[in-house]
Amino acid sequence: MFPKIASQLHKPVSIAPIVTFRIVFGLLMFASIARFWYNGWINTLYVLPPFHFTYLGFEWVRPLGHTGMHLIFLCMGLSALMIMFGFLYRIATVIFFLCFTYVELIDVTTYLNHYYFISLVAFLLIWLPAHRHYSVDMRLWPHLRCLTVPRWCVGILRFQMAVVYVFAGIAKLYADWLFDAMPMRLWLPAKSHLPIVGPWMYELWVAYLFSWFGAVYDLFIAFFLLYRPTRPFAYFFVLVFHIATAIFFPAIGMFPFVMIANSLIFFSGSFHQRLQSFLPGYTSANALPSQVYSFAQAQLWSIGIGLYISFQLLFPFRYLLYPGHLFWHEEGYRFSWRVMLMEKTGNSFFTVKDSATQQQIEVNNAAFLTPLQEKMMSTQPDLIAKYAQHLAQQYQQRGMQQPQVYAQVYVSLNGQRSRLFVDTTVNLAAQKLGWQHYTWVLPYKP
Amino acid sequence: MKPIYLIFSTIAVIALSVLSCNKPDKTDDTDKGNFDKTAMLVQYADNQIIPAYATLQTNISELQAAIDAFASSPNSGTQAALKTAYANAHLQYIRCGLYNFGPAESAILDNFFNFTGGLDYSFTTDGALTGFSVDTATILNNIATSSNNFTSLSRASFYAQGFPALNYLCFEPNAIPNMDAKRAQYLKDIVARMKTLSDKVAADWASYRSTFVGNTQSNSGSPIANIVNQIAYQMDVLKGPCIGWPLGKASNGTVFASKCEAYYAGISLALAKERIASIKSFYSGNGSGKGLSDYLVSLGQAQLNTDILAQMDIVATKLNDIADPLPTALTSQYTAVDATYKEIQKLVTLVKTDLPSVTAVQISYADNDGD
Repeated sequence: MFPKIASQLHKPVSIAPIVTFRIVFGLLMFASIARFWYNGWINTLYVLPPFHFTYLGFEWVRPLGHTGMHLIFLCMGLSALMIMFGFLYRIATVIFFLCFTYVELIDVTTYLNHYYFISLVAFLLIWLPAHRHYSVDMRLWPHLRCLTVPRWCVGILRFQMAVVYVFAGIAKLYADWLFDAMPMRLWLPAKSHLPIVGPWMYELWVAYLFSWFGAVYDLFIAFFLLYRPTRPFAYFFVLVFHIATAIFFPAIGMFPFVMIANSLIFFSGSFHQRLQSFLPGYTSANALPSQVYSFAQAQLWSIGIGLYISFQLLFPFRYLLYPGHLFWHEEGYRFSWRVMLMEKTGNSFFTVKDSATQQQIEVNNAAFLTPLQEKMMSTQPDLIAKYAQHLAQQYQQRGMQQPQVYAQVYVSLNGQRSRLFVDTTVNLAAQKLGWQHYTWVLPYKP
Repeated sequence: MKPIYLIFSTIAVIALSVLSCNKPDKTDDTDKGNFDKTAMLVQYADNQIIPAYATLQTNISELQAAIDAFASSPNSGTQAALKTAYANAHLQYIRCGLYNFGPAESAILDNFFNFTGGLDYSFTTDGALTGFSVDTATILNNIATSSNNFTSLSRASFYAQGFPALNYLCFEPNAIPNMDAKRAQYLKDIVARMKTLSDKVAADWASYRSTFVGNTQSNSGSPIANIVNQIAYQMDVLKGPCIGWPLGKASNGTVFASKCEAYYAGISLALAKERIASIKSFYSGNGSGKGLSDYLVSLGQAQLNTDILAQMDIVATKLNDIADPLPTALTSQYTAVDATYKEIQKLVTLVKTDLPSVTAVQISYADNDGD
């Protein structure tokens, strides 16, 4: 069975889909980075905060200061343009992937699912020969031109898109979402200012419609996009769905446009050839000599692809290994395509205590964290512990002996009343961070 | 359809049907209905905010007259009259302090009028300028050199003007014997600046009103988000600079009595009471039926609304249990002040967690992306 699948993976198909993908991805990334810069977020997120919540295993990642961070974003913007034009493509994709992933690793509180998606796609693009047609590289080195690539090159991007959709759909299959229209029923009344549909935002059935439509869309759209007869119709739904989310939830930023543009990958090679023929300087595929792109060590590639796919399919399910309510404990929540799934708000009061003198001080969070960091920290257990360790360190430097850190954290989930989140008697600074279940988080009570 | 898609679709359909069988009983949604957000904002603008600034203008004018009288003949009579005018103006400003968005935000009114020291500033040592401090060194230097740096955006500047400086210069123990021409001029300069700023904010509201009532969004920086955020912010001010920090919550019990708001004027407790009263009045739309509290009820959150209002009343009651003046009570009635602090903390949680979660408003001014 394995050789059969492998030979299918390496069957030559048109390069056109990944060429379009490269162009729109580069363009969108450039626009995103320009927007990020223009909004001053490089400063507010990566330069000004004196403390950052690092990822487990990536504690060594540090921001580079004002000039350094702006240079990183400049590199990202330039490499995005280079990806778009297909100029020194391999170098550009490596630079883009490294810069983007580095920035994402600086601070957990800036985590967004679509940033993770962009990191993954950038990683995949490194390995894909998406510059072998209609690119500057091809102008410079015409002998590199390819009209076909192994099937997996297109397939892996379609797979990645499908993963985002299907897992986002599976994540919505929980009682609050389906049978209580949560959190849509909380979010929609805040949208009553919208023209035409505004007055309906108070109607409960509209919240149910949004919830169910969202779940069904996410679960099935990838399959309708894969199946040729339903594809145009499905793409129409992609447009409707993502434009609607962009209007209703402008705070999700570039995500709808990324999905609209990247969903084009599901269209056929001939569709993309026709699309590209509208572009300036496009020469018909058959008019020039070309080669069939093939990878050496096909078997190794098959194994690599298999591993990547397995990871993508299994990692989002790691939450099943943890006890307790996923949305409450958030163990296995990130990197699992849980997008706009819950309304969780919290606030926290920390106290630092000197082990020797028993002196205690109530911490002013705003003196240590940005409003965004404080907001994110107050609902996520690993960040609470991380912050407690940071406080202990800070107060030790100020002369406290073995500072203990206690917190009163109150969290409201999906419109329920706020309640105590972590054990107030536990010294949070002494808690180990890791993959284990955090027993100091109080159990969820529905 | 290829078999693999059929399989996937079938699994998904089955999953959905299975989940559908567990349908729980619906919660009561009878309260939910259309709510006129524009009417709410019109109410806030026309009945609360604009009249409040008009009163502030009057109060500042009266304060100006009282300062003139005190400066020309400093005695206990003119000082007593000045204290009344000062208290009226400061209390009125506490009401206006909740409207720190739009024109007031552009004018940086809150920093120039009544600097809180900023909530992101560590409150540690007595000498440091934090909370409701007064920068007496800068003030005395400004007077001696007949200069000021009122428009400078620095902590030294904020702490040397507005209510903190007036409170010190008019009511410090030697305020009467210390009065001289230079000091009189400095006082007049301060209040003249307050007059200019309050006039400007009041005038700007005439044009800002349409922007305010015309925006019924709830995103960061929108009027509704501003209302929720200001309530949360003023609760934080009440918790920290007004009560908690002077009480020693951030300093292992070391009390900082002189950092009570308007320490020299001796109206700290009255100001704290006014703060919670005006927060309640803002939240409830002053009982007009067109306030944020009514919006909560329309969202099916009647119980939360009742609890928020009740907690506001509890905080007010606890403040009433404290005997004036607050700076003395910090030590003499520690238990009563601490009890108040605990109730304030409960209210902070309600307005920073429960309230934003049901109104889909973010507590924070950051406008970065989310998902």
